[in-house]
Amino acid sequence: MLEGITIRRTLLIGWRYLAIGTAMGLLLTVILLESSKNPNVTFPSTFPLEVPIFAVLGATGGLMTFSSDRTKGVLEYLLAYGVPPRTLFTNGLLATAALSGIILGLILSLGLVVAVAKGVPMTEGLWKSIALYTIPMSFASALFTSTVGMIWSSISTPRTGMNSPVGIAPMVGVGPTVLVLILAEGVPSSEYYEVTVGAALLLVAAVLALVSLSARLLGRERFLSPL
Amino acid sequence: MTEDLAANIRPNLGARTPLRSAGGHRIEVQGLSSGYHGQPILHDVSFTMEEPAIYVILGPNGAGKTTLFRTLAGILQPYRGTIRIDGIETGRGRTASRLQYLSHIDGFPDGLRVVEGLRFYAAVEGVPASEADRVIQLLGIEPLRDRFFSELSAGQKKRCSVARVFLQERGIYLLDEPTSNLDPKLAREIRDLVLGLSRNDLVLYSSHNLFEAKEIGKYVLALRDGKVGYFGLLSELRPARYVIGVRATGAEGILPADSKRGEYYLQELAGPEEVPKLVAELAAKGVQIREVKEMENPLEDLFT
Repeated sequence: MLEGITIRRTLLIGWRYLAIGTAMGLLLTVILLESSKNPNVTFPSTFPLEVPIFAVLGATGGLMTFSSDRTKGVLEYLLAYGVPPRTLFTNGLLATAALSGIILGLILSLGLVVAVAKGVPMTEGLWKSIALYTIPMSFASALFTSTVGMIWSSISTPRTGMNSPVGIAPMVGVGPTVLVLILAEGVPSSEYYEVTVGAALLLVAAVLALVSLSARLLGRERFLSPL
Repeated sequence: MTEDLAANIRPNLGARTPLRSAGGHRIEVQGLSSGYHGQPILHDVSFTMEEPAIYVILGPNGAGKTTLFRTLAGILQPYRGTIRIDGIETGRGRTASRLQYLSHIDGFPDGLRVVEGLRFYAAVEGVPASEADRVIQLLGIEPLRDRFFSELSAGQKKRCSVARVFLQERGIYLLDEPTSNLDPKLAREIRDLVLGLSRNDLVLYSSHNLFEAKEIGKYVLALRDGKVGYFGLLSELRPARYVIGVRATGAEGILPADSKRGEYYLQELAGPEEVPKLVAELAAKGVQIREVKEMENPLEDLFT
């Protein structure tokens, strides 16, 4: 039940990021299609790599909700109601995953519709890239951002604005996807999947490691407001 | 309005918890040590509370009042010692459902209106959303119902936060500075509500306001440097100096002029038992006594 409430509140807090992320993702898709000399080649190789960047941006609401709840003392009350710290942490990740799923669905569906309208063929390679890289990498990047931000905001003194974990963590979170975007440009097509899928798997492993580390890093007092 | 609230609150709340009998709650703390990040704030704290009453928790800043509340509420885990709530040891049973906790922080979720914030906590507590409107009415905060919490004044926020406490009846209430940031009238209303609770329940109430503490508390638990400095009936506390103020006319030349502070002549006595004798002596000398009041609060000594 708390999961549902947290997701609804996260949507309420993070809808602007969701809207901006979706709009930016679509805008870049249109630019990609319009500016490319041969969109039939560039779209299938570039579009799947760009989407995770916007998934990170769109899912920022998950981290914002956690950080705000800690500062405002909401997490303290939830602990008093008997909610375990682990649940507070995983609820933040669930909310992030929900937002990632929404923005991923929006950008993928709208982006592909625009591409089809432009006459770009839906090749097997495009579907393969989306299934093996875009979807796992989008969730992993967003969860990586949230995990880093939640741990960071819990163990640091509160700051606001861009100089805060909420402001900085998304920049850290898009790092791996930007790196893959750059690397994929330089590798032979035969190694394309090794690089992209390998990166996605590495990030998933990093998220799992951070989540398991969080149990040791975050004692109950880490969830209390520093105010 | 406040008298009505205080009178009606027990039947209102009792109707929702048929299993509960009047009183019967118990907090037993033995050798408790607790704190933050491995650094103990409370040291070897022990006490038992079982009589329905208001237990005022006093102490200077940093004495451990909030740490005690957080540990009793199960937010912090003890380093040493045990806490039993109604016989159930915290951490080994569902003690959270027996307590209602009010933090000194408002704890309202961001971006929500007052009614939405209360509905959020109603959902967390597992009570119907309509309870939010009931407590809004109970606290008289209808004008704030649809306003964003972030836009309210500190006093209005505190009232909304206090409303949360009444969403569901519990047998034990941990109220950390419930009247801070409130003007005297609103503080009085909250105190009346708390007094209503204390008829059958254990209410732990921390405050920096010694006069408020003296007014509502039956017991006092004073913390000093994380240890229990005093725990007992407030009525048994005696100030180190017993000073009364006498407001009177015709006392010139009878009471020393240099003892006058404002309208009152200050007189130090051995204890309250000497007051009638002094009043009789002054009256016999033709002094017209308008008022006699205690000038020292015995609780002040617990802070020094």
